[in-house]
Amino acid sequence: MNKIQSRFGEIEYQPENLLHFPEGLIGFENLRDFIVMPNEKEGPLFWIQSVEDSAIAFILTDPTNFFLDYKVAPDQRERQKLQLEEDEECFSLAVVTVSPERQITLNLAAPILFAPETRTALQVILEGTKYQSRTPLPTIEEARQTAEQKT
Amino acid sequence: MLVLTRKAGEGIVIGDNIKITIVELKGGGVRIGIDAPVEQKIYRQEVYDRICRENMEATQWNLADLSDLSSSLTGGKTIK
Repeated sequence: MNKIQSRFGEIEYQPENLLHFPEGLIGFENLRDFIVMPNEKEGPLFWIQSVEDSAIAFILTDPTNFFLDYKVAPDQRERQKLQLEEDEECFSLAVVTVSPERQITLNLAAPILFAPETRTALQVILEGTKYQSRTPLPTIEEARQTAEQKT
Repeated sequence: MLVLTRKAGEGIVIGDNIKITIVELKGGGVRIGIDAPVEQKIYRQEVYDRICRENMEATQWNLADLSDLSSSLTGGKTIK
């Protein structure tokens, strides 16, 4: 068990449970290892805390909780970085932003690809995408309605 | 910064495996062709800068935000 200080207090973690970003996140290229923190409350949100910089933590979510058809296919370079096997799939996660005006948005234009087998993750920028980097979070009701329209 | 003058059709070689070609000059814009290894990340500057800013902004939250947000998403349920 290791310990670090974060701006939320002391955090204990198992080194083997870290999430590794071989390229860091965009703008945070030097921060490679994050602790995955469960949310104390139920729900689709969780957060990751940098091991290397106590001030840096991100709220993440699986965007398919809100946007059912959201899917990002990694390219050859990204598959290599994630050490994905031939038929292995990876998951997409989105960075959640709480603006000073308390607006909640998901960054669907720069998702994090996550390979559970290797606990490796990569933030990628989607170019020429319809997805926005500040996609407002739909309410659960809106998400349900979308789900119902699909069926 | 190194500044070079190039004409359409001319290029620049960077290191062993990056080649940049000026494809076309048209209407105030420059079309650039880039040959680089697949593992090289290539982004438009303004797109990259925007994601940097947005990642920076995404670090500005606190545990109360997360708690409130989770409550609003689940209708106030907590883990028992």
